[in-house]
Amino acid sequence: MTTPTQVQDTLENMLVGRDTARFSWIPRRWYTHLVLIVSCAVIGFPLFYALLVSTQTNSEVYAYRFLPGSALADNWNFVFNIAHIGNYMINSALIAVTVTFGKVLLSLMAGLAFVYFKFPGKWLVFAFVLVTLMMPTEILILSLFRFVNSLGWGNTYLALIVPFIASATGAFLFRQHFANIPAELSEAAQLDGATPIQFLFRVLVPMSWNTIGALTVIQFVYVWNFYLWPALIIQGQERQVIQVGLRTLAGGDVSTSYGPLMLGAVVASLPPLIVFLLLQKQFMSGFALSRDK
Amino acid sequence: MLKSKALLLTVLALLLAVVPSFAQEPAEVKVWIAFTDANRLGWAQERAAEFNEMFPQYNVTVEGYANYEELFAATALAAEQNSLPAIVQYFEVATQDARDSGYFKSIQSALGDRTEVDGIPFNLDDFIGPVSAYYTLDGEFTSMPWNTSSAIWFSNQTILDAAGIDTPPTNWAEVDAACTAIMALADAPEFCFTFPNHGWFFEQWLAQQDAEFANNGNGRDARATEVTFASEAGVAVLEWLDAQLAKGNLYYSGAQGGASWETVDQAFSSQQVAMAAYSSSDTGAYTNIGVDNGFEVVASFLPYNDATGWTGNLIGGASLWLVNNLPTEIEDGALAFMAFLANTENAATWHQATGYIAIRQSANEALMGEGWFETNPNFSVAADQLAGSTVTPATSGAILGAFPAIRNVVTAAIDTVLLTDTPAADVLAEAQTEANVILSEYNTLFAPVG
Amino acid sequence: MPLAYFLRTALYEQCSAFSLQLVHNWYEIHPSRLHTGDDTMNTLLPFIVGAIGALAGAALFARSFRGKQRAVVGTAIGAGAGAIGALLLMLPLDFCMFDPERKTADVIFGGILIVVGFALVTLPTRALALRFLLPRPTIMRGESGAGAYRGAVLPWLLLAPTLIVLALFLYYPSLDTFRLSTLLSRLGAPRTAFVCVDNYTRLAVDSDYINSLIITLAMSAAIVVIGLTLSLGIATLAFQPIKGAKIYRTLLIWPYAISPAVAGVIFLLLFNPTGGIINYFLDGVFGFKIGWLNVPAVAPWAVIIASIWKSIGYNVLFYLAGLQNVPNDLLEASAIDGATAWQRFIRIVVPMLSPITFFLVITNMTYAFFDTFGTIDYLTGGGPLSSTTTMMYRIYQVGIQNNDLGKAAAESILLFVIVIGLTALQFRTSERQVTYGA
Repeated sequence: MTTPTQVQDTLENMLVGRDTARFSWIPRRWYTHLVLIVSCAVIGFPLFYALLVSTQTNSEVYAYRFLPGSALADNWNFVFNIAHIGNYMINSALIAVTVTFGKVLLSLMAGLAFVYFKFPGKWLVFAFVLVTLMMPTEILILSLFRFVNSLGWGNTYLALIVPFIASATGAFLFRQHFANIPAELSEAAQLDGATPIQFLFRVLVPMSWNTIGALTVIQFVYVWNFYLWPALIIQGQERQVIQVGLRTLAGGDVSTSYGPLMLGAVVASLPPLIVFLLLQKQFMSGFALSRDK
Repeated sequence: MLKSKALLLTVLALLLAVVPSFAQEPAEVKVWIAFTDANRLGWAQERAAEFNEMFPQYNVTVEGYANYEELFAATALAAEQNSLPAIVQYFEVATQDARDSGYFKSIQSALGDRTEVDGIPFNLDDFIGPVSAYYTLDGEFTSMPWNTSSAIWFSNQTILDAAGIDTPPTNWAEVDAACTAIMALADAPEFCFTFPNHGWFFEQWLAQQDAEFANNGNGRDARATEVTFASEAGVAVLEWLDAQLAKGNLYYSGAQGGASWETVDQAFSSQQVAMAAYSSSDTGAYTNIGVDNGFEVVASFLPYNDATGWTGNLIGGASLWLVNNLPTEIEDGALAFMAFLANTENAATWHQATGYIAIRQSANEALMGEGWFETNPNFSVAADQLAGSTVTPATSGAILGAFPAIRNVVTAAIDTVLLTDTPAADVLAEAQTEANVILSEYNTLFAPVG
Repeated sequence: MPLAYFLRTALYEQCSAFSLQLVHNWYEIHPSRLHTGDDTMNTLLPFIVGAIGALAGAALFARSFRGKQRAVVGTAIGAGAGAIGALLLMLPLDFCMFDPERKTADVIFGGILIVVGFALVTLPTRALALRFLLPRPTIMRGESGAGAYRGAVLPWLLLAPTLIVLALFLYYPSLDTFRLSTLLSRLGAPRTAFVCVDNYTRLAVDSDYINSLIITLAMSAAIVVIGLTLSLGIATLAFQPIKGAKIYRTLLIWPYAISPAVAGVIFLLLFNPTGGIINYFLDGVFGFKIGWLNVPAVAPWAVIIASIWKSIGYNVLFYLAGLQNVPNDLLEASAIDGATAWQRFIRIVVPMLSPITFFLVITNMTYAFFDTFGTIDYLTGGGPLSSTTTMMYRIYQVGIQNNDLGKAAAESILLFVIVIGLTALQFRTSERQVTYGA
């Protein structure tokens, strides 16, 4: 059976290309390349096509041209100057960065508390946090909606940030990670007279960049892509996020203009893609540990 | 000497800085509307700017929302937080919801005996008949009409000409005949006609047959407690559509919501269909489709059931509601702005910019004088259709609680009839039962107790 | 400092607003109801149910503690837990479903609630009792005690933000959803009405609801089964040390970062019946078009394809990692024994991958149940003919579009129960659980 260390090593090996295959039952290399190339092409096609369409006018779209069209400047103008997609992007960025930062911070604190402290009821608190993993937000979205409104946070950034600032996933990731760190480190830190907070930031965090990176990717993508909650709690355009804001490109006047819509979709996907690509390595290795629950 | 001069200057400067703050802060009049496109939202914001210049004691700001449902939710939430604006645009089927909500005050009661506010006259008699009738509840003029449309028929006259049809069909029998001719053409379009699946069209076809949607005089004599749309007239509508689908005349996309309207746009502009039922609010856009794609577009009245004859059509669109319990200055500012927005000149330019009906008779006369309707014949169709309608409870439109939800039930029923083999009568009866449950639940919660 | 003052007053305002809300909500749990029936029965009912619960609880615990120490204490705790559990969900509802004017369905539902409440309380209590009462040295995972800091206040401070947010924004709304599901409630209405379990029992006969249940299960099954099969296939064929491995992996996984909503938007373009590229190819190559978004039988497939597209790379990644750890000697041995490649694949590789499969099934199922919402909203809007209206989408339609909050809350609870049930089923049927010692 696979152990976490094995999986982590495997993933790292995969990334560096250090795997050694001794498996005779696998087909030959050229076959592999073919399958992979075809798969990548099929998977990449939708976005590639969306990119193409974002430069075309509607008539060019209907003509199925596979070359870049003529309307990029027009579409760009429509998307950013008329539909104010930039405003939605800024809102999404603000929310995603704040929530991600908050989740990482709160999870670090929780992990520290769970591993490096003994206090009565710890098991109960742990279960308290554990159970929330079974409670997807979508199920309680209506009550959350009423509750947040009763707090007066309807249509505010607070409503988008605060309910999601704690992360059970993160708490577990860090707990697992810290538990694997040898106890001598913390004993040494205590001998040196370091407070727990200092220990956290000077010793633990520098050792946890992989996990932090993984959590950052997961949460940034999650928050950036969140659709149902902003659709409910935010009305009007001022504080709306990009996923819901794309609607203004899809509806409105008579015919759907696919060019601006695709441009908007592509632009909306860039930040999470960039974050993902930058933190890929951390994401892959961090995930190996996340399966310990 | 110098010192006292400096002192004087300082005092003067301070006074100049302080005095303006003693001047009146303009009253904040917030207006929430359900448009976000540059054309309509932009028009409204420009009028607000003009108004603010004419009346510096008011500061009108217009905020746009993506659709009526979102605006409704925002209003409900703002009410809970005591941060309602001064004016909210509610669409016509939410009229009962607006009345029951307690957020709003009728225009008549706010006006009292006045016929004008801040020099802007209201001229309530000047509104065209059906518009006035819709927004007058219990004898009181309740909300200010603004964007009013009706359901009309667009035809690709080029194709009709090729089939030997001079004018678009006026009733269902003529539609049938026209379609037979059109589909027999060598280069016939894929289908003959289409319509967006929206309960509003069902309501229109029902009203044309002088059949009521709900009881108690369509909800106008007293609170509606039951819906009555599963009548013979209602079944006739669905059976006609079903028959046309079976013959291959009707193109039905199955798309939902906004997408349904878009598929109609695409089908019409790509000449996949020859004719379409649509809202008159897009007259300009549809006429342009013809211009862009090289065919002639002619607008005409919505075809009616020849078996029952034509009584009249309904209005659609929305009106502006005045929020309750506003401080007097803000309320007056709101009233003045509403009157300004609906004055003759603005009613005319709003019509020209969007295709919504010019709601004032004086505006229509002015436009006729300009020759606007000669150069843009399609634009007069909706107004003519409404002007020719006989005002009955059925054609005045239903006032119903939870109407948006009930409309969704009707839309789903149309879906079911067209996409399955279930007989229309059964589907409609079931829809009526479902709608009645919704309505009774609504009344349980909203109807005044005791 | 003005900032501190501001924070304090803001916090105070929020706290008082919140407490007021809690009190308000609590009192709504006990609204006035019309008792038209025989009062004797109703006053006796709590005692009867409580007694039955106590007996059942005692029996259950007695069995678990049989032959062990402190059995009497265990049984007593069991009795208490049983009674509390049986009454747990009944008291807030005031036994409303046993009123004489209620139908059989309501009574049955009441019975189910009693059993559920019983299980919810007795099972964890039993686990706790067995752990703490019996002298068994159990060491918490990851807690050797070494290296721990002293201090009783700091850990709570560190955990406080997490716990407060989870309690306020996860636990409280969950409980409130229960409450909401027993009410007739619309946004903006001046009042609510208590309807006991009507919102639930009506769903049992609501063909639209049952339809959405079937659609959800079918679509989820398709996404999971097809997605994982495809991914396993690609992973197996791609399982080689080759040049450019890193690039391939990136190129396969990046759809993970695309939102379900954007996936819906992009596939809206691709699947467009008249102008979409997919129909263009189909027409050109095979000579027919498919009404992807128009035909009720086909529309769910559009959503399924869009969803599989998004998750395939993610699945491939995990299968690749799992394949690396399949022991080669076992395979070579079976090859010597005469097993074909296919047999070796099915009998050895697939079972060895079952922890990964288990994990991916859960992840994909969660995705199919909840995250497809954005895709559906942009791609099909729930139609045509409700053929893509999953349970989650229905909650949105009923609760937000039709403004029936109580019914939507009931559906949310049922959805939650179904998800838990499926997850539990998964745990039981998987041969090897994903357990990692720390």
